[in-house]
Amino acid sequence: MNKKEVFKLAKGFRGRAKNCIRIARERVEKALQYSYRDRRNKKRDMRSLWIERINAGTRVHGVNYGNFMHGLVKENIQLNRKVLSELSMHEPYSFKALVDVSRTAFPGNKSLPSAPKKEGLSILV
Amino acid sequence: MAMSLSCASSIFTPKKSSTTPFTFNFPSHSPSISSSFLRFTSQSCTRHLSSSTFVPKLSQTEAPSVESEAEAVEVQQEPEAVEFEQAEQTLTTTESKGEDVFAVVMIGGRQYIVFPGRFLYTQRLKGANVDDKIILNKVLLVGTKTSTYIGKPIVPNAAVHAVVEEQGLDPKVVVFKYKKKKNYRRNIGHRQPNTRIRILGITGYQDSPASTLP
Repeated sequence: MNKKEVFKLAKGFRGRAKNCIRIARERVEKALQYSYRDRRNKKRDMRSLWIERINAGTRVHGVNYGNFMHGLVKENIQLNRKVLSELSMHEPYSFKALVDVSRTAFPGNKSLPSAPKKEGLSILV
Repeated sequence: MAMSLSCASSIFTPKKSSTTPFTFNFPSHSPSISSSFLRFTSQSCTRHLSSSTFVPKLSQTEAPSVESEAEAVEVQQEPEAVEFEQAEQTLTTTESKGEDVFAVVMIGGRQYIVFPGRFLYTQRLKGANVDDKIILNKVLLVGTKTSTYIGKPIVPNAAVHAVVEEQGLDPKVVVFKYKKKKNYRRNIGHRQPNTRIRILGITGYQDSPASTLP
């Protein structure tokens, strides 16, 4: 990469990393290595984020994430975790329907009849 | 998962044989243009004719990415597509006034929540031209204001109708590979080809079993 490109990518870096070509080239190369790696890591980071969101959404209805997904698999519902997390945030009634389907499919889910003790969340529902 | 997907594709195959296979000739659109929406898309078509010259080369490079396209995308033949499309638009307008409807649809191995009237970027749909109408059959869930139709794994007979608006490229990604102490560095730019489609409507879900909502 030539100097001009390096400085263009080094905009906003701290200290001499944005002014001096030797340091800037070093930092830009390292930054590009990180971005190469983190494009891979982004997939697993997002998946864990979706799982956390689904877990929060299902626990409002008294089902935990693992039992919920097991019920969906039993019913052969193939929605992925990205879509499920978006449904839990933006389409709460459709998500409730999915939780009900999962609950009837997997009897282990019935052991939790009502919402857990979290008062703040159960008020919202 | 893979087994049930194959069963889903076996559902699609008879429909594929019934409808006409890939035939594109979109100049015959122009006499039947009535709405402003269609005019807009025809403009975009002319704008991207120059870009469509180098499209096939790029789409060849990403061959393995779109493997399930053949089942999901069926491009209709022109004359019936036009009249069908007009009926479709009246249907969607009445629906959008009455109730909001959304669907979860599988396009190119990825699932998207789609709303009529909005556009979305998908993986490049190979063989589809600008202004082609496509029918997406892998509808996994349909939600209306009053009820939710949950597909196991798909909602039977449900279809999402869409039109191809643009065959474009994602923003550039710098692929920088580096190995320390080995004097190895590679600096490559990459632009993933994509397709912008606009959702026209969602049909065919009414007769499937629904779980009504309070």
